[in-house]
Amino acid sequence: MDERHEEDCGCQEYNELSRRQFLTSAAAGVSAAAVFPAWLPKIVMSKNYASNRDIIVSVFMRGGADGLSLVAPFADANYYTSRSTIAIPRPDATAGTKGVNLDGFFMFPQAMAGDAAGNGGLMPAFKATDLLVVHATGQLNNSRSHFDAQRYMEVGKPVDPALVTGWLGRHLASIPPLNPTAPLRALGVANGLQKTLVGAPKTLPIADPTNYSVGGAAATQTQRLGFMQTDYAGAEEPLKSAALDATNTVNLLKTVNFAGYKTANNAVYPNTSFGRALRSVAVLIKSDVGIEAAQVDIGGWDTHSAQDPLAGSMFRTMQDFSNSLAAFYADVIATGYSVTVVAVSEFGRNVRENGSQGTDHGRGTVMFAMGKGIAGGRVITKNWPGLARENLESGQDLKVTVDYRDILAEIVQKRLANPNLSFVFPSWTPTMLGVTR
Amino acid sequence: MRPNETVAAFAEWESTLGRLVRRVTYGPTVAETTKATQLGFQGYLNYQLNYTRINDDAVETAVASKWPLLAQSSDVLFSSDAGQVRAQLQEATIYRAAFSQRQLYHRMVEFWSDHFNQDMDKVGYLLVADMRDVIRKHALGKFPDMLKASAHSPSMLAYLDQTQSRNTAPNQNYAREIMELHTLGVDGGYTQDDVAALSRVLTGWTIQGRGNFVFNPAIHDWTAKTLLGVTIPAGSPSLGQAGINEGEQMLELLVNHPSTARYISTKMLMWLLTPTPTETQISAIASVYKATGGDIKSMIRAILNDAWLPVAPMKLRRPFHFLVASLRSTNPTVTTMTTINGQLNNLGQGLFAWDTPDGYPDKIEYWAGNIVPRWGYASVISALNSTTSVAVDTTAYRAGSPDAAVDLIDQNFFGGEMPLVTRNALLTYIKGGTFNDTRVRETIGLAVSANAFQWY
Repeated sequence: MDERHEEDCGCQEYNELSRRQFLTSAAAGVSAAAVFPAWLPKIVMSKNYASNRDIIVSVFMRGGADGLSLVAPFADANYYTSRSTIAIPRPDATAGTKGVNLDGFFMFPQAMAGDAAGNGGLMPAFKATDLLVVHATGQLNNSRSHFDAQRYMEVGKPVDPALVTGWLGRHLASIPPLNPTAPLRALGVANGLQKTLVGAPKTLPIADPTNYSVGGAAATQTQRLGFMQTDYAGAEEPLKSAALDATNTVNLLKTVNFAGYKTANNAVYPNTSFGRALRSVAVLIKSDVGIEAAQVDIGGWDTHSAQDPLAGSMFRTMQDFSNSLAAFYADVIATGYSVTVVAVSEFGRNVRENGSQGTDHGRGTVMFAMGKGIAGGRVITKNWPGLARENLESGQDLKVTVDYRDILAEIVQKRLANPNLSFVFPSWTPTMLGVTR
Repeated sequence: MRPNETVAAFAEWESTLGRLVRRVTYGPTVAETTKATQLGFQGYLNYQLNYTRINDDAVETAVASKWPLLAQSSDVLFSSDAGQVRAQLQEATIYRAAFSQRQLYHRMVEFWSDHFNQDMDKVGYLLVADMRDVIRKHALGKFPDMLKASAHSPSMLAYLDQTQSRNTAPNQNYAREIMELHTLGVDGGYTQDDVAALSRVLTGWTIQGRGNFVFNPAIHDWTAKTLLGVTIPAGSPSLGQAGINEGEQMLELLVNHPSTARYISTKMLMWLLTPTPTETQISAIASVYKATGGDIKSMIRAILNDAWLPVAPMKLRRPFHFLVASLRSTNPTVTTMTTINGQLNNLGQGLFAWDTPDGYPDKIEYWAGNIVPRWGYASVISALNSTTSVAVDTTAYRAGSPDAAVDLIDQNFFGGEMPLVTRNALLTYIKGGTFNDTRVRETIGLAVSANAFQWY
């Protein structure tokens, strides 16, 4: 992907973007220029369709995940003084609920490591140096509103109400399809399209890919889909594209055998919405239907009360998170598929627990990257800011030392082979931290 | 896909009155269109606004008989089957929206239940009282009354962890969301310090027993607070119940705040008129809010005027709206609502199941891709002919020619303004096979699937 061509690459997405850029559509309440800004024509497209770039699975941990429980800094004494009832015991403690040492400073709780010996969960990926943890990370925008913080993290630019596309949407819009004939390039495993993917061509929300059908009598299905194509042909966007992509995708997914799928390496996906979503994504990747990105969400992180990362509410959420990703790792990544997984959350939580054995909205947290192309087996931070009160943001929160876009941008460029970083992350000059191999 | 854009209405939507009916109802049935034509634009809007004068006895009798738990107090519901309570509240909500003549009222019930969204997974039976005593009670009343009722609602206090908050360790969840989502809006001019201070003001607002509001002075933070330009002096536990006045004072400040007037006006404009209200429109409605003390009816009357409405873009029906519209158009005999309620989950908008307090999105770019579940639902509803659940009667459609059947679909599903492309495609389909019950049902399913049926 070293060759760069400034001229028109002739690919469909580029032409569509250019047209949207230069046409002022009277029907558009928001002009196309607001969606795809003026510098778009400088976008660089590779001619190389037969790419070796990774497929990306993007995970959003919605609700503000407590990074200090997910990857706990046991060697920072203030961790224990700040959390009298909800801290993870040190790896060298005698408690049955003790954590699992990662690097002498950070540890996984057992919900993330499988058990006290670290024999399950995300430990195999970490030990194989395919799982990277970034700590004290997050976004510059210091909103503690879930909705603002999620929005700007998904958009990929802080506090710009005019930007409505998502970073992954812009990535897909600025790179040729892996498979030019694929009817579906990306999916959000959700009822509605997540903001991360907004702006992506040939992309649909599909809550349950195993059951994506228009129903009714099989004998008339083709004829009825024909009605949809006729009726929606004159529809306004975005419904027109959605309907046409949908009719093609219905036919595509009919050919995929979800029910008969056998995982590799005896991987077992938890029967949770997150586990089922990753299983469906795995089937689609292995079916080679041209999927190059998936957005998957996992909720349950808004732990204002009774957080209990040792046995209760957050324990179960972390266990779902780690066991589902562990199954995906064993089933897909460990078997050699070129897939990168990233997981982010909109913010972390207060360092000190509140009076309800929970934590309120904070700032810095963790993010994860996983894949054969990720330089993992490490917890990286930029000068751990520490949990002493004088080192906390607003006296209460872990500081954000690494902008999450630095991590994503390096993955977009090095693993997804997209050179258009200033389009994917506008107004941001990323610092490459060596998170990819 | 070009996100966040507005979509101009179909050329066939020529009638301003028709646009009004689409905006204040869950779909223009023949009866509704006839009523509107009789009363005229203002007369019909007033008829829908003065909803208590619309006789709704038939619907409420059916609700009382099919879903009796909804009349019960929290003390009774506490020991009822949780799944039953949830199903009854969901099913009755769909039923009322579909079959009540008080259509605008139920459109606003939907709006406010998103504005004050709560997840039944967390609050359980408590939501029954909230829907009854906060949302349905005030949906067309005064916003300040509704906000205050919500702040005293056990369900809301449980949902946003206010019940966990106390002087020694205030929980900020409710204090944040009441400003961000319920009143001022995220850009309404409050700070993190204001959130922290309001959380201390509200300590002691909690619930007791099976779900009764109580102010508990023992866990109230009596120290002095400063927030939003107001200083609340230190008090003492000896003041007892008077400590609640700190919170009442702040609620009063919030409902009278200019940011609240703008925020509520903007949301109501987006709900009723356009995804992209102008500054002029927002200012105009905010002025009505200020002048009338947040009178919701007055605000709606100002929003749905015959100058703004004819040029307003279309809005995409969310799954709930879409499903309810299909019930109004197919007008089935309903014995039980279990099947229909399950279908709404498949469509992605299961009621009282959105887990975060912002409520289901009302954005085209969020829902536009979710089209296949709608097509799947359309083939289900059109085929339903069950005496134990839902029966759609197709006799009238089969009484004449295929052309007459499509004309009847136009009247029942599209208010007589069906786009030509849809008419032609339906005619092609209905004539493409034997004209029988199956073919008619499939054609009805396609009408529900059609582009024009997704908009209002």
